[in-house]
Formats: sequence, C-alpha cells, structure tokens
Amino acid sequence: MGGLWRPAWRHAVFCVWPWRHLGRPTRAAERSEPCLRPRSSGPAGTEQGLRRLGTWRRRARRQPARRPKSTNPYTRSQEEDWRRRNKTVLTYVAAAAVGMLGASYAAVPLYRLYCQTTGLGGSAVAGHASDQIENMVPVKDRIIKITFNADVHASLQWNFRPQQTEIYVVPGETALAFYKAKNPTDKPVIGISTYNVVPFEAGQYFNKIQCFCFEEQRLNPQEEVDMPVFFYIDPEFAEDPRMVNVDLITLSYTFFEAKEGHKLPVPGYNS
Amino acid sequence: MSTAMNFGSKSFQPRPPDKGSFPLDHFGECKSFKEKFMKCLRDNNFENALCRNESKEYLECRMERQLMAQEPLEKLGFGDLINGKSDKN
Repeated sequence: MGGLWRPAWRHAVFCVWPWRHLGRPTRAAERSEPCLRPRSSGPAGTEQGLRRLGTWRRRARRQPARRPKSTNPYTRSQEEDWRRRNKTVLTYVAAAAVGMLGASYAAVPLYRLYCQTTGLGGSAVAGHASDQIENMVPVKDRIIKITFNADVHASLQWNFRPQQTEIYVVPGETALAFYKAKNPTDKPVIGISTYNVVPFEAGQYFNKIQCFCFEEQRLNPQEEVDMPVFFYIDPEFAEDPRMVNVDLITLSYTFFEAKEGHKLPVPGYNS
Repeated sequence: MSTAMNFGSKSFQPRPPDKGSFPLDHFGECKSFKEKFMKCLRDNNFENALCRNESKEYLECRMERQLMAQEPLEKLGFGDLINGKSDKN
C-alpha cells in the first residue's frame, strides 16, 4: 500500500485502480476477463459469469468517478486530485493525437501550396499563365537542342515516330514539332499518350501549350495523322544555375492503347 | 514515367498542356502547311527560330479549320511576327 503514494507509481496505479476495490487477487488475465475468475462450474455458473460480465461492465464504467478507495478524507481528496489530473492528462493526450491525425490530413494541400509559392520540389510553379507567353522575351544566346523520341506500348500496333529527330530552340521562344502516327490494322484503335522529359530538372521548364497527350486519340483503319506539339522552354531556364550545363533535352512520348475502364495515371486531366 | 526506382529522388510529374489537346487532323487539311514547315526545318538545319513564320501559318490553318481554339497570335508567342507581317503589308 505504501507504494501507491509515490508519484512515480501514479500511472501504474491508474491502470490497476479500477480493479483494486473489487478485492480480487492481482492476476492480469482474471482482472480483464471476469469469466476466467474461479466460480462454481456448470450452467448456473456460466449464467452467473455472463451476468457478472454485464455487471462488471457497468461497475467498471461507473466506479472510477464515484468510489474513492479509502474513507480517510485527506487521502480521498488527494485521490480525487489525482483523478482530476489524470483526466486532464488524458484529455491533452487525446487532443494531441487528434491534432496529429488532422495535421497529417492537412499536410497534403498545405505542402502543395508551399511548393507552388516557393517552387521547390519540382512541382508546378504558379504563374505559368498564357499571359506569360505574351510577355516572354527569348534568350537568344542560349541554344538548346531538343531531341524527340517516340514509343509505343507493346499491345498498341501503331507506327508512331517523330517527324524530326531534333530541333534547336532558345528559351522563351515557342516551337512546333510533329509526330506521325499510322494505324496499319483494319480496326479503329484508340490510343492515349503520356510524355517524359529528360533531364528531370529541365522538365519543369518545359511547357506544352498544346499537344496530343492525355486525351484519347482515335485512328481509323489505315489512317495516318500528323500530331503536333506546340511548346516553349521557360525563359527562367537560362537563369537557373542547375541548368548551366544542360544543352540537350529529350522529349519522349509513349502511346498506350486506351481500353474501357483503363485509367492512365494522368495528372488530373481527363478526356 | 521515370524509370528510376530510387525513392529518394523525385519522379517526373507530367503536366497537362496549357491549352489542352490538339484535335486530330483526320482529313489532312493542314498537311501542306506542315510540309512547308518541315521543309523549312530541314533546309535550316532544324533551327526553330528561322521557321517561325511557317509554324505560325500552320497554327493559323488549324484555327481556321476549327482544329484549334482561336487565339490571338500574341498569346502563342508570335507577337513579333505579327508586327513584321503588318510592316510588309
């Protein structure tokens, strides 16, 4: 009993507290499972056990707030003090847990906002509006070579290739490039494409004004079409110290067959 | 997408185009403009700066035939070419 009054044992006491008053021996399994407690066996015993289960629950819910352990008024007030403090601590801990959960949900849009304002993490920088195109000035002394690559998924039988192997552009200048796709089969085929830019860091400066990606494109049998890509390199490319050695950017398109219910991992752009 | 399998590096995030997708030119209505542009590129060693007139004409063809949303040419970065054209006229 003397150990109960030491502050270091307070948290252990709280766990043990509800069971102490029942006067049962301190056996953990029997404490939590009243049906394990020794009693008369047989059907009457089980009924008693079940009833005790019900009463035990009621007792457990009621008793921590109502029944102080001792009759000594000094110790009783101290116990109530502890109970109150324990409740406060529990409330704080619960609030912290809920706060953490909420913060983890809020983190996603907040981080996106942060990335947009600071431009870190390679994500889209706010301000890539079309008025920017009007006012941008080509940086004539920085010539970049853009090479083109065309890929097709194995299940898609199109002939897809770029119509120029490379093109020389400068940042701030809009450029046009063509790909060609032919459907050699006898059935109409619907394809959808995505793109990739290498090197990765240069990809954030590569802005497409209009292209043929992320939307289903249907080719009739034996049909051949020209697919243009209208793009520009952001003039800020010339000012980025990481891009000083970048002279070659490769634009790579890959076509997949668009099947019903098959969703490409496109960035929120739906056809 | 990027084939790098390391979790530390950021993967490439493709962005949708600003003005959406070009409708396909099924009937080849602007094919002649495209051929002119490609010929210009080949003649000029694939330098885009020298063939901007042809690319402007191709986009104008598209806009005329409803294969592209109508946009003032300044918004497509051809502001300097319009002035040049008006000077000629």
